[in-house]
Amino acid sequence: MTKRQGRLFFIICTLISATAFIGLTVDSHRRFPGLTNEDKLTPEIIRGKDVWHNNNCINCHTLLGEGGYYAPDLTKITQQRGTPYLTAFLKDPSQFYSEEKHRRLMPNPKLSDAEISEVITFLDWVGHIDNQGWPPRPIIVSGTTIPGTDVGQSPTHASVSTDPVAQGEALFRSSPPACNACHSIASGVNLAGPSLAGLATRAAAIIASPEYKGEAKTPTDYIRESITHPSAYLVPGAMYSANSQSFMPDNFAVDLEPQQIDSLVAYLETLK
Amino acid sequence: MRYRSQSIAYWYFAVAMCLFGLQLVFGLLTASKYLGPDPLLDFLPFDKTKAIHTNLLIVWVLTGFMGATYYVVPEESRSEIYSVKLAYIQLIAWTLMGVTAIVGYVFGWTAGNKMLEQPFPLKIVIVIVMLMFLYNILMTIKRAGRWTVTEGVLVAGLAFAAILYLPALIEYENYTVSIFYRWWTIHLWVEGVWEMIQGGLLAYLLIRLSGADREVMEKWLYVIVGLVFMAGILGTAHHYYWVGVPHYWLPIGGFFSALEPVALLGMAMYAYFAMRRAGLSHPNSLAVHWTIGSTVFTVFGAGLLGFAHTWPSVNKWTHGTLITAMHGHGAFYGAYAMTVLAMVSYTLPHLTSDRKVEGSSIGYWAFWMQVMGMFGMTLSFGTAGIGQVYLERILGLGYLDTQLKLQVHFLMLIATASVFATGAALFIWNFFRTAPRSVAAIDSSTSAPDLAPAAHTNSAVSG
Repeated sequence: MTKRQGRLFFIICTLISATAFIGLTVDSHRRFPGLTNEDKLTPEIIRGKDVWHNNNCINCHTLLGEGGYYAPDLTKITQQRGTPYLTAFLKDPSQFYSEEKHRRLMPNPKLSDAEISEVITFLDWVGHIDNQGWPPRPIIVSGTTIPGTDVGQSPTHASVSTDPVAQGEALFRSSPPACNACHSIASGVNLAGPSLAGLATRAAAIIASPEYKGEAKTPTDYIRESITHPSAYLVPGAMYSANSQSFMPDNFAVDLEPQQIDSLVAYLETLK
Repeated sequence: MRYRSQSIAYWYFAVAMCLFGLQLVFGLLTASKYLGPDPLLDFLPFDKTKAIHTNLLIVWVLTGFMGATYYVVPEESRSEIYSVKLAYIQLIAWTLMGVTAIVGYVFGWTAGNKMLEQPFPLKIVIVIVMLMFLYNILMTIKRAGRWTVTEGVLVAGLAFAAILYLPALIEYENYTVSIFYRWWTIHLWVEGVWEMIQGGLLAYLLIRLSGADREVMEKWLYVIVGLVFMAGILGTAHHYYWVGVPHYWLPIGGFFSALEPVALLGMAMYAYFAMRRAGLSHPNSLAVHWTIGSTVFTVFGAGLLGFAHTWPSVNKWTHGTLITAMHGHGAFYGAYAMTVLAMVSYTLPHLTSDRKVEGSSIGYWAFWMQVMGMFGMTLSFGTAGIGQVYLERILGLGYLDTQLKLQVHFLMLIATASVFATGAALFIWNFFRTAPRSVAAIDSSTSAPDLAPAAHTNSAVSG
């Protein structure tokens, strides 16, 4: 090979690669609006993106898997935590995690209410980008699941049994609704939500207590109400609720099938 | 040193060494935060120290590249630099920009875009400085009316680096589009034109150190840069996994990323055979260590460790974990940090006084401690990342709980990083140990033994 041929090799390789790259870039632009729901991109979301950048969030967290690897990935965070929870968290992260226990804590970003709301809408928009189904199973912020459980499977495939309790248990560990991303069933293990160990037993005591203002008359009703109307009764603790509103998402009455709620209740009733 | 204006390189390298040292201070500070609790949480939290750590890297490596170019171009074009004054003004503007950026990050002045955190006004300064630099270099070559392939590749790489910075100046409303073009700068820098710069500097060093035939070296330089571009340009696709772009980027990323180690292996073989053919008789054996070391570490850090997580079915699980930090450290150090350190080691006997060409034992300690330390750091990040993938991504343990279980790896990281930092400190101390040669002394410094006959071959192509 001569130097001239070497130069030709360099030019041809570069031209082919660059041409293909530019072509694919043009095609990607054609597809971006559909893949990212660009029509839903409101000024509020764009302001939320600015909040995200201005506060350098990317150098600790990852979003779509890109960022600092020092704090949890937030791609699907709005599907795991409701707006009230995220709002309260952003107002004061130290209410939720401690440096002593977790060895790292998010510094208070000191955002205004508007900024908090904007950044949450931005994160929600990111969560709906079509990104080839990543992550393959939910990445949760804190808590544990038992090795070998079926987190991440769709509810219909999660259980082979037709027994409502078995179906409810499978649903509890499936995503969505990913109940176990926030609730442990081990006694004393409180994650983002309170532990559900002994729930059925505790329910009876709660209904009988003067603090209870809901409509349930039986433990079964109470559990159902907790799923469909999480704010009917607030478990004490600043990390579970604020301003008379539970941090638990209130979309389950709409997003779950009635039969799915039945099976969840059937399962949770067994936690005595 | 044959040309008076080559002494500009000393001051660029001096600034680069200071920033390198500062980068490691912030690196160690950042690493210590993995262990927690963090006493600086409210003043200097992780996000700030990490941004400073990565930005210092980019700035010092670029400073090193510029210094190296000011050293290489006079020799290759056989001419003094067009404007020495402009070169110093450029260095001052560049350093001021760097210092302003770092102080700005401490006080929260940031664009908050990973590795492109520089606020818009500073980005403009960067563009202006790059233009000043290119103008000065191109005018030097034009005035000399003589250029070589080696310097052509080097300068083209620097010019492309400036051009590819331009997409970073535009803001996009759509976050996915913003990610898409961020990689045009970052990826096409580090796996495209910076490798071109690396190739150019490597060819220069090999010709000088081994006395290898220039015709042969420059022919293969074309081939290597061709391979790097073929794999590197479409290899951008491996940054387009799972971020909201069309599906076809996945197989493209897998295929072309697999080619990247081949190109890098080509570069290492290029160095190895040059040395083998022409012998290792050059007295500056320390520079030989850095040069060969750089190509070997590039194959390891950029090639193998990159390929370890770049296949889509693997990356699906490793994406966004400490596995990426493993590759990032190995790749940047091997390919770029070591290339600059090789240039510094090669030029130091010429740029400073009272120094033996062979180098001193401090120089070898600096080399081996850095190489071993960085190897240990990639192992620490790698094992932490494997643990993270298994516990967090596969078993479903929470992120925070997983990180607590990785404490032992973070201890390992800090231990190995300390070895690395000690090696780097020795290198920096060795650099500043003796004074720069005064301009008057330059003329009396007769040609160094390595101004090899290769410099006088007729390979020059007239402008």
